[in-house]
Amino acid sequence: MLINRVKELRARYNLTQGNLAEKIGVTRQTVVSLEKGSYVPSLLLAMNIAEVFNEPIENIFYKEGEE
Amino acid sequence: MRLYLTIIMRSLLYVSLGIMVYNSVRVEQQFELLGRGYIDGFSVNIDNMVGHIFIGITIILVIMNVIHLLFMGKNKQAKMEDYILPEYDASDERSVEITGKAVRFAFAFILLYSFLILGSYMFIPNYFLDYVWYPMFTTASIPIVGLIFYLISFKVLYSR
Repeated sequence: MLINRVKELRARYNLTQGNLAEKIGVTRQTVVSLEKGSYVPSLLLAMNIAEVFNEPIENIFYKEGEE
Repeated sequence: MRLYLTIIMRSLLYVSLGIMVYNSVRVEQQFELLGRGYIDGFSVNIDNMVGHIFIGITIILVIMNVIHLLFMGKNKQAKMEDYILPEYDASDERSVEITGKAVRFAFAFILLYSFLILGSYMFIPNYFLDYVWYPMFTTASIPIVGLIFYLISFKVLYSR
C-alpha cells in the first residue's frame, strides 16, 4: 500500500484542498481521496504534487513499512 | 449534476424512441389483423408529442455533446476516448479511472440483463399479438438499465 504525506505538507504550506487541487490540476474530491490514501496517483500527478511542495517524490509517497 | 442530467436525457431518449416504435408497430399490427380478417376496423389516435420530445432531447444531447467536446478539447491532458460521450467524466485522472471502472461494471451488468431479457421472451410466446409493447420496451430498458447502473457505480466509486 502507498502512503503519502500530502495532508501534512498541505497543512505546512497552509493550502486548502481546493487550492492544492487547482495547482495540480485535479478536482478537490481527488485531493480528498489522495489524503485518505484511497487513491494512488499517476506518476505525472505525483510529480506535480512534488513540484508544489518542492520535495522529491519519494519523500511524499512511500510504501507501507518504509520510512 | 451533469452526469444525472445526461443520463436522464439519454434514458428519456430511449423511452421516447420506444414509444414511437411501439405506436408505429401497433398500427402495422392493426393493419395486419384487418388484412387477415380478424377485425373489421380500427381507430388510431396520432399524437406527435412523443416525436417532439424525441427531437427536443436529441437536439439538447447533441448540443451538450458538442459543448463537452469543445470544453474538453482545451484540456491538453485529456484524451479523446476519455470524453467521447457527455456521460464520461474526464475532469481529472481519477474521474477517468472511475469512469473506466463504472463502464466495466455497467457492461457486465448489461451482458447479464440482456441474457435475462432474451430468456424472458420464452415466457411470453404470444408477445407479438397481445404484448406488442414488450420487445420495444425491454430493448429500450437495456441501455437505460446500463446507464443507471453506470451512474450508481460511478457515484459509489467517486465518493470513496
